[in-house]
Amino acid sequence: MSTQPNFAPDREQESIESRRSNLRPVEKRAITVAVAGNPNSGKSTLINAIAGTRLQVGNWAGVTVEKKEAIFEYGGCRIRLVDLPGTYSLSPYTQEEIIARDYLVHERPDLVINVVDATNLERNLYLTVQIMELGIPVVMALNIYDEAQAKGYRIDVPGIEKMLGITVVPTSATKKDGLDELLKKVLDTTANPTGQKPAQLGYGLDVETAIRLVSETLTVNQPALIERYPLRWLALKLIEADAHVIEETKIGTIAVLDEALHHLRNAHGEDIEALMADTRYSLASGLTREVLKKPELRKTDLTEKIDRVVLNRFLGIPIFLTAMWIMFKLTFDVSKPFADWVAAMISGPLTHWATALANLIHAPDWTVSLLTDGVIAGTGNVLGFVPMIFAMMFFITFLEGSGYMARAAFVMDRAMHAIGLHGKSFIPMLLGFGCNVPAIYATRTMENPRDKALTGLLIPLMSCGARLPVYIVFIGAFFPNHGGSVLWSLYVMGIGLAIFMGFIFKRTLFRGEAPMFIMELPPYRMPSFRSLMIHTWEKGKHFLVKAGTYILAVSIMVWFLLNLPWGVEHKKDSYLGKIGQVSAPVLAPLGFGTWEASSSLIAGLIAKEIVVGTMGEIYVKKDAEKKPETPTFGDDLKEAGTSLVKAGKESFSNVFSTLGVSSLSADENAEKAAERNPLRAELKKHFTPLTAYAFIVFVLLYMPCVIAAVAMVQEFRTWKWYGVAFAYQMVLAWGMACLVFQGGMLLGLGG
Amino acid sequence: MGIADMIIAAAILAVAGYLLYYSLWKKKGCCSGSGCGGSCGKK
Repeated sequence: MSTQPNFAPDREQESIESRRSNLRPVEKRAITVAVAGNPNSGKSTLINAIAGTRLQVGNWAGVTVEKKEAIFEYGGCRIRLVDLPGTYSLSPYTQEEIIARDYLVHERPDLVINVVDATNLERNLYLTVQIMELGIPVVMALNIYDEAQAKGYRIDVPGIEKMLGITVVPTSATKKDGLDELLKKVLDTTANPTGQKPAQLGYGLDVETAIRLVSETLTVNQPALIERYPLRWLALKLIEADAHVIEETKIGTIAVLDEALHHLRNAHGEDIEALMADTRYSLASGLTREVLKKPELRKTDLTEKIDRVVLNRFLGIPIFLTAMWIMFKLTFDVSKPFADWVAAMISGPLTHWATALANLIHAPDWTVSLLTDGVIAGTGNVLGFVPMIFAMMFFITFLEGSGYMARAAFVMDRAMHAIGLHGKSFIPMLLGFGCNVPAIYATRTMENPRDKALTGLLIPLMSCGARLPVYIVFIGAFFPNHGGSVLWSLYVMGIGLAIFMGFIFKRTLFRGEAPMFIMELPPYRMPSFRSLMIHTWEKGKHFLVKAGTYILAVSIMVWFLLNLPWGVEHKKDSYLGKIGQVSAPVLAPLGFGTWEASSSLIAGLIAKEIVVGTMGEIYVKKDAEKKPETPTFGDDLKEAGTSLVKAGKESFSNVFSTLGVSSLSADENAEKAAERNPLRAELKKHFTPLTAYAFIVFVLLYMPCVIAAVAMVQEFRTWKWYGVAFAYQMVLAWGMACLVFQGGMLLGLGG
Repeated sequence: MGIADMIIAAAILAVAGYLLYYSLWKKKGCCSGSGCGGSCGKK
């Protein structure tokens, strides 16, 4: 078979052109532009650069799993950009491919910007050929062009334009190069859609004859279908026996199709789809050979050098675990001074001024208590951990943007394959370190529904940012000098248990062979500071929104439950106290069978951060004997400024001591520390290091939060898998916390 | 606790209940940003 580009003008071209000529002039309307391309070719980055949006980006394949939009104005025209999930082809095998294809076929955008990775031209052109078959005007953004040039690639851009008959614009989305030119070409092409003469791939005499036969039959017998689908594309899909299209069109078996296929099968064998894919690959390969000149002597680039170490069979997993340890240690050391500062501001000036304000307006006493002991103690205790959450999201964003996360999945693939899973499952799991909810939605990248459900079941074992406040408050109280290590142990425990549970599920609920895992490893890139900041904010602001909505609502409800029946003297006798007392015996073997711990865990069923908020409401008591201080607003402001500068200095010095001795203030005055963080001081009275660790292990593992439940039901369209997740996680959490506590007691670690 | 207090308490609880219903059920716990992977929007 020829590998040279093979284009054959055809009369179906006329129907494509007639479709285009029906498009209205650009000046009179908004235009819809779909952005399609291979995974990790920079589609989301391109849209963000063009439209100033903040779509999630990452230097790994599969970041966008559903279509997203951005609307902006350019050249007097309102442009709606639709970011389609990255796909290697438009075959109907994965959810992303179906989403992208359905959109292009049924929504029929005015134009497609085909984002092509200039460093991987041949692989990307396969999709280009399929997009062109849809008959929608195409402008190619030859993206990552700067990297291709840096590698010494010489790409004949006019050559691509000539051979494909479409406009090609070299771009570098990260540097915002070529974007203006791209938009101009988009407007030019949509204004004059018939001006473009895209080449049409010829599949050879036999297939072309079959296409003609099928097209003629469809034109005569199925006029309604011709209105809905591009004719040539529909004929191609029917010849390929595309199950999705056959089902969608309800076309059944038509005699002419049998006749056409009979001849093709006799001449070329049974697999017509493979024959056509081969023709498309030949085109992509031939075209690449014509337009791309690579340097004769290729130097080993930095990515390959790093990968030789990072992906090493023996070093890969230790390096991954070390990278995680450094990340958690940095998170803890860098953010702790700021978290302490926020906590001190909330328990000090904020509480003080809120009380003063309430008294000023003669608010009833109980509302003052609701404000300080409910809203501020509950929501404030969660807000105190915002610096840590943002620090963690910063480092996760960095690892994603640098390309290391894709390596982590690759490295874990070997370990996971050994127990019947594959590395692709690990990608949504890694996303779960930020928040389990997007991770559950990301399971739609799995082709196999059983792998998808299994991955969804394991994701809640990945420790999300919402659990961080609980860990931090206990680590601050009991393990201040080993914060990073304790944090690391929890995340590693989550991964280890996910592997263990995957092993069990694969042998019980999900029997079957693990499919092969083929993953693209993107080159290492240094994420830009702006991109890091934007995406850290996008990930972290979720927690601020939560604090202002349902954490606030639950804090208010918890306060009422702690103070009803009205006039109750001891919190233990309140409604929440009574609920806690009923469930406390179940937790007794775990070392924290108190009503306080039990009530906090129950409230945390809504969201895990609420455990800390509820503890703040339950444990922190007002010191009645303490004389109320009445600092002026100016004093408070001065103190806030001074302590913030101090926190900044401490954080800065901690960066340098991360791998050495941390400067965390373990030796600080106990009274001062209690004043600064009263919850931590109270916890020291009710827990020991062993029970504290058992408690945070329980929080790590017990049932997925309500939001994750909603996500699971929405994604898997059944309550069944959430029910399984709820049941196994409760058992696992109880078992592991019991193991930690009872094991620790046996080892004489104290109770 | 007088009637005025009870009315205030009921109003606060109603607002908290609505906030919980709205953020958990109506918005499915999602933020407006991309942290949710676009899960809040259409599919």
